[in-house]
Amino acid sequence: MTTTRSAPQSTRSTPRHRGRGAPSTSGGGTAFAGTGTLVRFMLRRDRIKLPAWVCGLGLFVVYIGAALPQIAPTEDDLAAASPMLSQPIGRMFSGPAYGMTPPTYESFFAGGYTLYLYLLAALMNILLITRHTRLEEQSGRAELVRANVTGRHSRLTAALVVAGITNLAATVVVAGLALTNDFSPTGSLLVGAGVGLTGMAFAGVSAITAQLSEYSRSASGLAGIVLGVAFGVRALGDMAEQGGSTLSWFSPLAWPGQTAPYVLDRWWPLLLPVALAVVTIAVAFALQDRRDLGAGLLAARPGRAEATPSLGTVWGLAARLQRGPVLAWGFGILVLGVVDGLFTQVMLDSAGEMPEALRQVFGAEQLADGYMSFLAVFGGYLTAAFIVYAVQSLKSEEDSGRAEAVLATPTARVTWGLSHVVATGVGAVLIMLVTGLAVGAAASGVTGTGSIFGDAFLAHLNVLPAVLVTLGVCTLAYGCAPRLLAPVGWALVAVMFFVGNFAALLDVPDWIFRLSPLDYPAQVPVEDIAWRPLLWLALVALAGVVLGLVGLRRRQISARS
Amino acid sequence: MNSTSSPVIETSDLVKTFGSTRALDGLDLSVAQGEVHGFLGPNGAGKSTTIRVLLGLLRADEGAARLFGADPWDDAVSLHHRLAYVPGDVELWPNLTGGEAIDLFARLRGTLDTKRRSELCDRFDLDPTKKARTYSKGNRQKVALIAALASPVDLLLLDEPTAGLDPLMELVFQECIREAQQAGATVLLSSHILAQVEVLADRISIVRSGRVVETGSLDDLRHMTRTTIVARTDRPAEGMQSLTGVHDITSGDGEVRLEVDGEHVGPVITRLAEHGIQSITAHPPTLEQLLVSHYGHEPEPEEVAR
Ligand SMILES: Nc1ncnc2c1ncn2[C@@H]1O[C@H](COP(=O)(O)OP(=O)(O)OP(=O)(O)O)[C@@H](O)[C@H]1O
Ligand SMILES: [Mg+2]
Repeated sequence: MTTTRSAPQSTRSTPRHRGRGAPSTSGGGTAFAGTGTLVRFMLRRDRIKLPAWVCGLGLFVVYIGAALPQIAPTEDDLAAASPMLSQPIGRMFSGPAYGMTPPTYESFFAGGYTLYLYLLAALMNILLITRHTRLEEQSGRAELVRANVTGRHSRLTAALVVAGITNLAATVVVAGLALTNDFSPTGSLLVGAGVGLTGMAFAGVSAITAQLSEYSRSASGLAGIVLGVAFGVRALGDMAEQGGSTLSWFSPLAWPGQTAPYVLDRWWPLLLPVALAVVTIAVAFALQDRRDLGAGLLAARPGRAEATPSLGTVWGLAARLQRGPVLAWGFGILVLGVVDGLFTQVMLDSAGEMPEALRQVFGAEQLADGYMSFLAVFGGYLTAAFIVYAVQSLKSEEDSGRAEAVLATPTARVTWGLSHVVATGVGAVLIMLVTGLAVGAAASGVTGTGSIFGDAFLAHLNVLPAVLVTLGVCTLAYGCAPRLLAPVGWALVAVMFFVGNFAALLDVPDWIFRLSPLDYPAQVPVEDIAWRPLLWLALVALAGVVLGLVGLRRRQISARS
Repeated sequence: MNSTSSPVIETSDLVKTFGSTRALDGLDLSVAQGEVHGFLGPNGAGKSTTIRVLLGLLRADEGAARLFGADPWDDAVSLHHRLAYVPGDVELWPNLTGGEAIDLFARLRGTLDTKRRSELCDRFDLDPTKKARTYSKGNRQKVALIAALASPVDLLLLDEPTAGLDPLMELVFQECIREAQQAGATVLLSSHILAQVEVLADRISIVRSGRVVETGSLDDLRHMTRTTIVARTDRPAEGMQSLTGVHDITSGDGEVRLEVDGEHVGPVITRLAEHGIQSITAHPPTLEQLLVSHYGHEPEPEEVAR
């Protein structure tokens, strides 16, 4: 673009103008040619997905609006429930807890639940951007499109425009539906704008991660790590102080909450996500200028000419393929666990803010126990998410045709499936064990209480069978109905997450609790270990794996079905 | 172990449907021990589907398939000890090198003959230290070929194995297949690359819309097609159309171009000689013509004959 001034003119005169193509080149340089067409094409491809996401966000608002008066028929009842949000562990998972003295329905909505709207909006944008940029490049479809009259930046621009349209729709829907709950206009608009702008900021973040890696899974994984870290930093920052501490301000997920909707109603914190979006998008375009289509920014090095003996079996292959994900996820989960563990003392200190009634229920030691049991559940659903991710590699092996090549050797289908299931299971166990040890070490180090070490480790061991139920469910889905693997697996993780953090704050029916495997084990170390539920969970996990492998043996392996 | 008379591959009335698509529609295929069998057909004819059924990856809806006399679905694992497969679209693990992938496949199949492996890498001019994601299409194909050829097997199932290879590599491939055949292997070679099949195949089956429409040796099939003759003569060659078996005559500039049925070539040459031949070229029937006569919209020879 910088080298010649005349180039755009000459190229513009050569293609035959067909009327409809013309507006897309009007944006200036040829690097953006065809953006309009791509936007329409992406919107068409996502005509179900994106409206479903936006409707999901809207339903969430409607549900909370309807559920709150059910849990707490008067605002006095609400005040009695508010310590759940305002005590430190509550703040970790719901936000800075503005407007809790005394709470109103709208401030309870903002303080307790909107964080998850922001989180979902970020997730929606990560998936959207990666799907339309890196996944297309990885599959080679982008090459086909680029060979037509589209520019270097058209695809990313179009994806960001689609993200912008979706985020705008989300803003309008969320704000509008909050208004129908009889919440006040300014606060509702702030919540809506928070959703849209947080979404846009994460669209920018994933625009960068899409430049870094050649694989869409690592691109979305990297953006997911950023989101996870943002959640963790905000959790610790908000836990340290009501209204958030300095640490909170380092997390993009804390910014929309700092507008304090319905309480302080301030707009200026939203400048931060705007700035983040602008900067990240600018960086993404700059990075894109420096790389070739289909390439990442990290150059490939040559490797071994011969396989090590360990790579001689399907087991070795599965271990090799799962090694990367285990290390990456394990590292992330470990870091989050250690940081949370290091905050144990802060949490205990800030327990002073807790209402007298709650403190009597817990007592200082009990509070530490409750926190350890909580961290085990936290590590549990993150590890469950790893399992869903890892089992999906079976499906991508099959879809890419690599499974076909392996199964054309004397390798039984069951052995092949089992090798990946075992590699995933071993990875999950290792992640939980190491995290348990590290959380225990961190917590006992900062509190100076040796017994916390054992408690934390035991708490992590205790949830392990429940975590492995995810592996059973995913294997079953993959073996019998591979298309259902992703939806069923992620839905299970979502339920575990929802029940673990969140269901107690809402008056959800018992059966929803029962959907989460993590709800069955005893709350070690608050309660004593209970063996019976653990045995059952292990059996369910095993049954899922066995049935899934039976299903795999009976069904056909079809590449690209 | 296996009596030489019974075919290595035998399918009868194989039917495979995907929803409403009938990918295989009563496919009968028979490949004898030790032969290189060309498996020809246009896109979507059902070649890859047949091979996947033979590998036990897909289950046929109707009909029977036997590989070495055993059922490819039930006995997949034991059968796979005796065969190697090269897919049409080679996908490798992006973060494994080509060398690692070759070794992995060889070890999964049995033992790894490192000498043979490095010899093949040399012959195919493949750098095994590169990560698979950095290979070109042809190089990915070479990895799959080397992996298949590195271990001694009784049957090679090759699905368009040279689609991405350059002509030099194609020659190496042909050498390797001949060696494999000499070593006693049976080869099923699917392709639309007609020249390749022509060079290698002892027998061919032509498949269209899920059925084998023609099968036989190249010579058998040639009887059904015509030789193309282009001749430059001193005097304009007239009256050629009165000869039996001559079709599609075009002439001009002292040159005549015609097609003649395989068994009527002699009289045509005699007649041309009467006009004083300056130069003559005769193309044997290519497999293109075979394919066109089966898949194209060309009229049948009988219809043109008057
Ligand atoms: N997994 C599948 N699901 C649905 N339809 C399929 C599937 N696999 C193959 N088909 C269909 O079956 C038919 C035969 O396909 P096949 O891949 O066997 O053709 P082919 O002869 O190998 O073609 P090509 O020369 O293009 O490779 C095609 O119409 C194809 O669309
Ligand atoms: Mg094919």
